[in-house]
Amino acid sequence: MTVALVIDTSTNRTLVGIVSGGALLFETHHDDPLGHGEALPKLVQQALAHSAQIDSVIVGMGPGPFTGLRVGISFAQSFASARGIPWVGVCGLDAIASEISVPEFFVAIDARRKEVFFARYVAGVRSIEPGVAQPSQLIKIAIPIFGEATGEFPSALGLAKTAESGLTYRAPVYVRRPDAYPPPTGVKFRPMLQPDLVPAFALEKSIYKSDAWTSAQFKEEFAAKDRTYLVAEFGGALIAYAGAVNLAGTCDVLTLSVAEEHRKKGIGREMLRRLIDWARTQKCEAIMLEVWVGNEEAMPLYESFGFIEISRRANYYGPGKTAIVMRKELQ
Amino acid sequence: MINSQAVVLGLETSCDETAVGIVRGRNLLANVISSSVDEHARFGGVVPEIASRAHLEAMPGVIAQALLDAKLKISDIDAFAVTAGPGLIGALLVGTSSASGLALALGKPLYGVNHLSAHIAVDTLESDQKLQPTIALLVSGGHSSILQVNDLTNDVITLGSTIDDAAGEAFDKIARILELSFPGGPAIDKAAQSGNPTAIDFPRGLSLNKDLAAHKYDFSFSGLKTSVARYLQASPKFIRADVAASFQEAVVDVLLTKAISAATETGIDRLVIAGGVAANSRLRELANERAAKAGIQLRIPPMALCTDNGAMVAALGALAVQAGISPSGLGFGANSSSGIDRPIF
Repeated sequence: MTVALVIDTSTNRTLVGIVSGGALLFETHHDDPLGHGEALPKLVQQALAHSAQIDSVIVGMGPGPFTGLRVGISFAQSFASARGIPWVGVCGLDAIASEISVPEFFVAIDARRKEVFFARYVAGVRSIEPGVAQPSQLIKIAIPIFGEATGEFPSALGLAKTAESGLTYRAPVYVRRPDAYPPPTGVKFRPMLQPDLVPAFALEKSIYKSDAWTSAQFKEEFAAKDRTYLVAEFGGALIAYAGAVNLAGTCDVLTLSVAEEHRKKGIGREMLRRLIDWARTQKCEAIMLEVWVGNEEAMPLYESFGFIEISRRANYYGPGKTAIVMRKELQ
Repeated sequence: MINSQAVVLGLETSCDETAVGIVRGRNLLANVISSSVDEHARFGGVVPEIASRAHLEAMPGVIAQALLDAKLKISDIDAFAVTAGPGLIGALLVGTSSASGLALALGKPLYGVNHLSAHIAVDTLESDQKLQPTIALLVSGGHSSILQVNDLTNDVITLGSTIDDAAGEAFDKIARILELSFPGGPAIDKAAQSGNPTAIDFPRGLSLNKDLAAHKYDFSFSGLKTSVARYLQASPKFIRADVAASFQEAVVDVLLTKAISAATETGIDRLVIAGGVAANSRLRELANERAAKAGIQLRIPPMALCTDNGAMVAALGALAVQAGISPSGLGFGANSSSGIDRPIF
């Protein structure tokens, strides 16, 4: 009877098991969303103490948060190659599904950023490729959802059963692409000048409508001390502007606004990078900003720069509109 | 296994190079590097997620090639070593997880090592001479430090480091505003060949008396970067080669001034320069000149061993085996900001 070492790090759980001939010989796990790297070798050592003979490795290939996911895969492939044994990669969602017996359901696991990785199963068979969505989108479709939220994780037996089924993977199931944007081409970044005030104010009004700064506020802000304002130009038109102030050694981002049709092109990213550089030259100890709690486009951007939520301000953007205050240390 | 002849395989994945090296004691047997640098070029800097994905993809092939080059089987390896930090956390974890997979599969010892110490340890592959204590100037895309190395495996002191950008990062950023290619180091080095290094007097960060009190051996490159940007804005007809040469001179000058003074003031008359920026031709030239003048023995490892590589990790692992240091055990994970006070985890 062949013996398989089973590993999964595609969820907040690090799972290790030993399975032979459809029977579970050993299983252990450790729950820590950031602890896969530390936990996995220790758990595998326990498993090896239980069974020194290993004939193959079965590993969950995702989807799952990338950093943890790769811990299991890189461990499994090097372990297998050192022992000269085969390794088999399977989809972790399939492993969860293999142990559920309702006619139609979703399996969903935490994908961070308020999203889930999910797949849909009909009569036990996956009907679509794994995807990523907001939980609210799945809830709208009235079929049961299983996964981390309901206490379901990939199990050693589930992973082994899925490996038997033949639907296997040799590369990670990432689903999401890396968050990387080339610097925008054809876009010019430069300091804001007096003649920019008119187009910038027009852009302000088109984005923020009734919440926009007034023209007078705009002029006053621009002229005030210890501030920097910059703009992005494309084809001669002003398409974005941003500003920050140095308040006694702490920089505060006052505005970062990109015209609707030019979003998701890395323009906001580049402007924020420039504001951070400015804050550094001002020798600021930190840079702060406020973001509306529902602004799900901006949050990942700020987090990728190392901004961390430090507090919330209720009704900051008007009744019921909470602001998240974020801060990034510069020293 | 005779400890001084231990065969050690080292893995390095702290940034964008997937690298594996194999040494036997102080002899280099293999040094294989797969870089994802081209994938980062269009972003003007290393994108952590792209680097991590590339590590996972490249690792099995790089290990296999290193074993082939060394004419060894994986079972011939006596111990494994891996960079455990500092570096990009997602990238580091591919290395530490691969390494623990190998070590556990074979029941061999594993050492998690410090990336900065490893950069200096690589020098032991090149020489039989006594190399410690030494002052080390470590300059790369991620680090700019002056270290006092009393013992590579357990006594390394940071005398100073950058308070903002790393030197290599400054090269990348200036290359970007000069519209040169990424990575910026080689591009600026090349552009500077035909330029005048004294054409523009760019600032040397943290070199004024008032800064020296608190930051004697620290570096700062963000003011220099701003100063170059301002110069370009104010001088529409700037000469690219002169800007490149003058910028490079400012960086190299301040690096060497502080490194040489660290050697002189600690009374340690050895200096090792390591890290990717050690590839810079002007840095090498001026380092030779100034070290000779100060009576300091200068060592710069060959190019292939200056940039991130696995041989340096294996070399530090081999030193740890030789010194009888106990292996790191399991579960040391990876530490993106680990200090040099822990050369071996």
